[in-house]
Amino acid sequence: MSSFEKVGEGYSLDLTLDEAHILINLVEQLLELLGEGDFFHHYDSNDPLAQLLAMPSEIVTPDDPVLLRLLPNAYADPEAASDFRRYTEPQLRGSKQKNLRLVREELTILVDENHGGVIEELNADVWLKALNDLRIALSVRLEIDENSFDKFEMLPDEDPQKPVYAVYFWLGWLQENLLGLLL
Amino acid sequence: MSKTLTKEEVNISELIDRPWITIVWDDPVNLMTYVTHVFIKLFGFSKERAQELMMQVHNEGRAVVSTGTREEMERDVQRLHEHGLWATLQRDDKI
Repeated sequence: MSSFEKVGEGYSLDLTLDEAHILINLVEQLLELLGEGDFFHHYDSNDPLAQLLAMPSEIVTPDDPVLLRLLPNAYADPEAASDFRRYTEPQLRGSKQKNLRLVREELTILVDENHGGVIEELNADVWLKALNDLRIALSVRLEIDENSFDKFEMLPDEDPQKPVYAVYFWLGWLQENLLGLLL
Repeated sequence: MSKTLTKEEVNISELIDRPWITIVWDDPVNLMTYVTHVFIKLFGFSKERAQELMMQVHNEGRAVVSTGTREEMERDVQRLHEHGLWATLQRDDKI
């Protein structure tokens, strides 16, 4: 099974090609959900029309439960929460995108070369936060609660949710593995 | 001029002095070791203090992790959100 290792002062992660594919797919899906399409833009960003259309839309409380959990309200009071969100959400969103982009870059090398292998000298802090955000995203879709592990164990193998649970628990195992090296 | 404060003045002074607090809420996803790690990293707690607060979140559903001005608590909440912890701030309701 793949695992993180401490190498000198740094950390590395050994992944199979299948594992790298699972991770990069999740990372890209979450980047898209956070509003970042990974595609080349074919317009000049100095074009006034492009700037007009690219103007950020009004920042409101997200409807999507995954986004609401990743970008939560800071206040119980809706008005205070909405004010705070208007000023801070872009930065919070940006910090999550930045972590995911860095992880994606490191995974891209393995996926593009079509083999498993070791990611050397990875940024443990970035990986911890990215793995955590991926787990949170999956947990909302799977409606994870305290009894989820038992529920997962009882699911028949042909249940379409079973592999998603398996990925969720695998990500938790990976995160715990890295934390074991840090704490 | 009287040196004793009127009732109204006392209430205003309490309102001004009452600090703001950052609360971390329990969720079934964040690993206990991760929450401990984040508390040490963001607040400089000892491992023992961080674990104690993490257990309080786990067992009681919430824990106050920092106290200060509104601006300081807003910064703490933002940093906790960056780490995926579920946190809110409010005025301390203990008088």
